[in-house]
Amino acid sequence: MIQIKNLNKIFYENTKKEFYALKDINLEIETSTCVILKGISGSGKSTLLSLIATMEKPTSGEIIIDDESVAKLPDLHSSNFRAKKLGFIFQSYNLFNELSAKENVSIPLIPVGFSQKEINEKVLKALEIANISHKKDELVSNLSGGEKQRCAIARAIVNNPDIILCDEPTANLDFDNSIKFIENLKELKKLNKTIIVATHDPIFDNLDFIDNVINIKNGIICE
Amino acid sequence: MSSILLSNEVIIFLFVQIILFILLTIAFYFSLSIIKNWDFNKTTNKQYKLEKTSYLVILIISFTLIVKIVLFPYFAYSLDNLSNIVPGAMCAAGIVGANKFGQINLALKILILFFIGVWLIINTLDLKAKTYPYTQKKYILYIFIFILSIIELFLDFSFLDNISTKEPVMCCSVIFGVNNTGSKIPFDLSITNLLIVFYLLYVLTTILSIQKSSFLNLIINFMFLYIGYYVVTYFFSTYIYQLPTHQCPFCMLQKEYYFIGYFIWGTLFLGTFFGVSSFILKTFINKDLAYTYKYSLIFNTLFILLCSFYVIKYYLINGVFL
Repeated sequence: MIQIKNLNKIFYENTKKEFYALKDINLEIETSTCVILKGISGSGKSTLLSLIATMEKPTSGEIIIDDESVAKLPDLHSSNFRAKKLGFIFQSYNLFNELSAKENVSIPLIPVGFSQKEINEKVLKALEIANISHKKDELVSNLSGGEKQRCAIARAIVNNPDIILCDEPTANLDFDNSIKFIENLKELKKLNKTIIVATHDPIFDNLDFIDNVINIKNGIICE
Repeated sequence: MSSILLSNEVIIFLFVQIILFILLTIAFYFSLSIIKNWDFNKTTNKQYKLEKTSYLVILIISFTLIVKIVLFPYFAYSLDNLSNIVPGAMCAAGIVGANKFGQINLALKILILFFIGVWLIINTLDLKAKTYPYTQKKYILYIFIFILSIIELFLDFSFLDNISTKEPVMCCSVIFGVNNTGSKIPFDLSITNLLIVFYLLYVLTTILSIQKSSFLNLIINFMFLYIGYYVVTYFFSTYIYQLPTHQCPFCMLQKEYYFIGYFIWGTLFLGTFFGVSSFILKTFINKDLAYTYKYSLIFNTLFILLCSFYVIKYYLINGVFL
């Protein structure tokens, strides 16, 4: 379970440009649910995702994931936490164009210390789940937008994380690829993953596997 | 201004010391606030800011203290080089004894190195833990190191500024001369008895390191350091220099002896440091670290082997002892 208590994130604190990206957020996300964070650009949903992902520290407040206060984890431990528990899918894929799909997907496993054989097995499995195994040896620069996003999905799930965070995952995809992405999410939910999607894409409206939609406006959760 | 202060080595040394001192002062300023307000369990803005500040301060302190460790052998090297411009001095022994500040300055530097070592171990443990359990304690220790560093800087200037390049100084042949050994060796021990005590203490440190007895290790390692200093100066050094009348702890730092002094004194200090730190860490942060015993054993053994090597080598080549 993800619990967020009195979370605040202020940028440019104590300067003229100071603003609240998130203001007094209180939230609970149950395990194995799919939650959509909805809001326009600049509403604070990406900030919330990066705080849950321990990529940033809050200004104040607490984020507890499976009884562990992750917001306060020292850098060394937050890296370990990310490597073991989290998968992140970015809007712009954040893949290495010079590497093949397979090599990109294997990257999160390298610091964990798996053998090459174990890495190969896990990478192939992740590529299959994301329906991109047929392009495993292709350079990422030669993949289409939809294929890149599937490659990013494979990378996010290769370490078998409990939580998958998606930041505007369909922003660079056409309608058909967006639908395919949603199908992928549905499959991931069947694997009991907790999925949080930050988006303003209406394609996510009224999907049957979505458990909760949270609207964020100016850093505040709207009921 | 003393011409010593204008020599290249001293200018570099003091310049680095001043820069380090400025960094330590900045760290000191923030340390006070961290000690006063730190509470890891809080999720307030202030605590998060303190954690960020602490991250930066730790970086400054770690960098500064590591540079200070490197600076110590450079200081010894500088003293050795100064013997070229101070009349009567043939090695660092003459420079250290040139005024009343030399000995105490050197002793203080070694003491600071010891506390720096303890601080670095505590810091590593603190950063590895999930809840920064030793943060306040390590900053308290840092403040103690900072106070010692203020005294050290004062002593550095007092010592170096008061070395005369006109008045001759006494060097090792007089300070540690063979005619004076009777009164210089502790407890009026003969060289043979000193050697017996020395090797016995080594055996004891080995046993205690294997048994992981922290308090006894502290006592025996201090004794080993104390006796080790005398045994190197009055016995092993004569084999390093291959001259029975040449008894000096510093000449071995010179190029003609392949800088072996740095390794001999370095291994003795590290062996003692790890032997003593096991008890300090147990007392200060209630942590018994197995590797401190292991490293103490390794460095003490290296020290013994290095020292004994010169005696064996001399015997094998010449067929007699000095």
